[in-house]
Amino acid sequence: MKNKHLIISFLLLFLSFMLVACTDEKTGEKETNKENETAGETEKAPDKEIYPFDHSEKYTITGMTFRFGDPPPLSSPGLDMINERFNVDYKPEIIPQGDYVEKSSAIVASGSMPDLVGFQAGDTRFYQWAEDGAFLPLDDYLSHYATLGKIPDYIYNSFKVNGKIYGIPRYSQPFPLTPIIRKDWLDKLGLEVPTNYEELEEIAIAFTKEDPDGNGKADTYGVAIGENINPSFNMGTYWDFNAWYHQNDNGDFIPGIISNGRKDLIQFFANLYKEGAMTKDFAVLDWASTNNEFYSGKAGIFVGGVSGMSQEYFEGLLSINPDAELVAIPPFEAPDKSKGFTMGSGNSGILALNAKLAEDEGKIYRALELVDFGKTYFPAEKKNPQNADFDFYLGKEGTGYNMENGLPVQVPTFSSEGLSPSTYFLDNREQVPEDAAINYADSYTLPELKEMTVTLQEMFESNQMYIDPSHGVLSPTNQEKGTDLMQFLINEQSKMIAGQRPVSDWDALVEEYLAKGGEAIIKETNEGIKAKGYTEREWK
Amino acid sequence: MFKSSGGERVMEIVNNILLLLITVTMLFPFLYIFSVSFSSISDVLNSDFLLWPKDWVTDAYTYILGSDQFIRSLWVTVYVTVVGTFVNLVFTSTMAYSLTRNIIGQRLILFLVLFTLLFSAGMIPTYIIVKETGLLNSLWALIIPVAISPFNLIIMTQFFKGIPEELTEAAVIDGANDIQIFSKIILPLSKPALAAFGLFYAVGHWNSYFSGVLYLNDPAKWPIQVILRQIVIVNEPNAALGGHAAMVEALPPPETVQMAAILLATLPILIVYPFLQKHFAKGVMLGSVKG
Repeated sequence: MKNKHLIISFLLLFLSFMLVACTDEKTGEKETNKENETAGETEKAPDKEIYPFDHSEKYTITGMTFRFGDPPPLSSPGLDMINERFNVDYKPEIIPQGDYVEKSSAIVASGSMPDLVGFQAGDTRFYQWAEDGAFLPLDDYLSHYATLGKIPDYIYNSFKVNGKIYGIPRYSQPFPLTPIIRKDWLDKLGLEVPTNYEELEEIAIAFTKEDPDGNGKADTYGVAIGENINPSFNMGTYWDFNAWYHQNDNGDFIPGIISNGRKDLIQFFANLYKEGAMTKDFAVLDWASTNNEFYSGKAGIFVGGVSGMSQEYFEGLLSINPDAELVAIPPFEAPDKSKGFTMGSGNSGILALNAKLAEDEGKIYRALELVDFGKTYFPAEKKNPQNADFDFYLGKEGTGYNMENGLPVQVPTFSSEGLSPSTYFLDNREQVPEDAAINYADSYTLPELKEMTVTLQEMFESNQMYIDPSHGVLSPTNQEKGTDLMQFLINEQSKMIAGQRPVSDWDALVEEYLAKGGEAIIKETNEGIKAKGYTEREWK
Repeated sequence: MFKSSGGERVMEIVNNILLLLITVTMLFPFLYIFSVSFSSISDVLNSDFLLWPKDWVTDAYTYILGSDQFIRSLWVTVYVTVVGTFVNLVFTSTMAYSLTRNIIGQRLILFLVLFTLLFSAGMIPTYIIVKETGLLNSLWALIIPVAISPFNLIIMTQFFKGIPEELTEAAVIDGANDIQIFSKIILPLSKPALAAFGLFYAVGHWNSYFSGVLYLNDPAKWPIQVILRQIVIVNEPNAALGGHAAMVEALPPPETVQMAAILLATLPILIVYPFLQKHFAKGVMLGSVKG
């Protein structure tokens, strides 16, 4: 009998532990937020004006962010250089991108949110936590800094919560990835660069059936494409699944993924699939394999961008097809006479400051100084050892980098051995000013790649670009269900391409989407768009 | 021996063919990995399928073995596996043995063990415990939180219960205390079980990856699986999440290097198996109680 009581009481005890464990995550966050709120409220008026760049006091500054490559070591010459220059004890925690969401959530839930917190673009936690008061409003500080102060308001607008700026954008160039084509194959078959989807379809089929590489084998095809119908091969905003361009009967914007433009595009792919003119097993091909289809000389149509292209891939293609020449396909004129691609959101990540910093203004200034320096833009003529800041940033000539043909080339171990301070800045992507005249081809050494980059840049600069009204607009339903809904649509549309579901089912699919939450997403997003004051479609 | 009938022979042949097929499907991926890792990059790109290298190239291996990180993380994993498995076996076997004796609260403890088997605390509470006990960024964070697997504990308890009482009684009459009984009688008789659980634990340690990422901030302390993932997994732009993904933020190394890394990271733990295998087959009761 006694034993039974014991067991029951233990069980109860355990259950209560369980409950605590389950709710811990929430309370952990809430508690820190409470502290933050009180800290925020007791913002004492500084008794004396602090000079933002005063380095007399030493601060410990912690931070965390994601990295696509390998994180640098925890102690290294590069880190020492930062500590010395800014008089800080800087402790950045750099986490592999694939695990960032989980690990950063655990760190924050355990009550140790660092001073600087990085987010990937579109991470909704940034907005939720800002809403909960976990971050510091930055409006009063940004103007002191050479780089942060120059970022245009319309970009900061995406990181405002309740009218205050909480996030610093990580730069991303505004030009999207757009379709490119094998010019040498076109020439061989006597074809022209396409100007509409009918021509593109003909070309893709010709690439499949007319032996464009002239090796006598049927080993080529048209469009290289992988899982999630990626790349999407939209030849303009009208067909862009990601842009809010089309409007429904009430004049509300709708997401491109359910628009008629997208429907035409899916039909186009379905035709190609029937003809074998696109990647057969596209539904299960990851990004690297999709690249491989194109850069191994199998497919003739893919996408490219003005930056971030891989020279290695390109060299691989040239080793197989020495004559390979890639050119950009200019945007097609849409049925509504619009022409042009969609402009990027202007950010590839977000950095926020912990609200606890409000207790010490000096520390805010120092932390922002670090952030600002990491984002400094060096024009081409200043990327050399004569520029002390640049020399510091890459870890001194001869140690962190070497000059080759007038271009700085980082030593292979600059990050793995932490030789260069640049690798420790949480946001180390240079913030290119609006008016900077960049020649994107400068960053490559391979002549063929330079040529392709030039064609892309000329194409972008000679065409208008659409400004997507949905950037920086928050829809709670979208945060909750958006990703799943998008995945659902993409899966169904993949079936349509492969002929497992007729394209004539399109309207039924759209209805399904609207019923599952799409309706609410459209309503909320349009409220946000109106609140931004965006009414007419804007092109730039 | 009986003469086998025709039907039995057919059965045996079919059986062998099936087993052979299964074996081939298991070995096939390894053969593919092996071949790709010794091929040149252009061969891999140009052929849809490789089952044997056209010409033998060891570039991939020189590349990997040339980086300190790979070798260092291999040692980290060896250390965690050896120390961790030892800790696992000591704690699991002692606790399992205690649970076979009539101790106070035995049933309650068993109940609690079962409870953790059914309900786990979840990542964040565990993270908080590791953090508050000061194990963050220490290799012990990969060992202590997983010192006892409840599942293995319960099986081991059952195993110990299967050892005849008479043996321990005889030892008690000879004046042995609990520790002596455990170390001189129970453990030697449990070699097959210890080998089996040792293997489970070792493979678990070898393959564990997420706790390495979660608890260790210092890349120098990362186990091999984390490094492997960094080498092999490409950071995919997620089309469903939208945004204009960059082409590839950090290029994955060529496929040959990826395959060589997989092979180097898997081989050591594969080699352990044959050495433990001989213990599995031995009868449990060999040379104890003659029935």
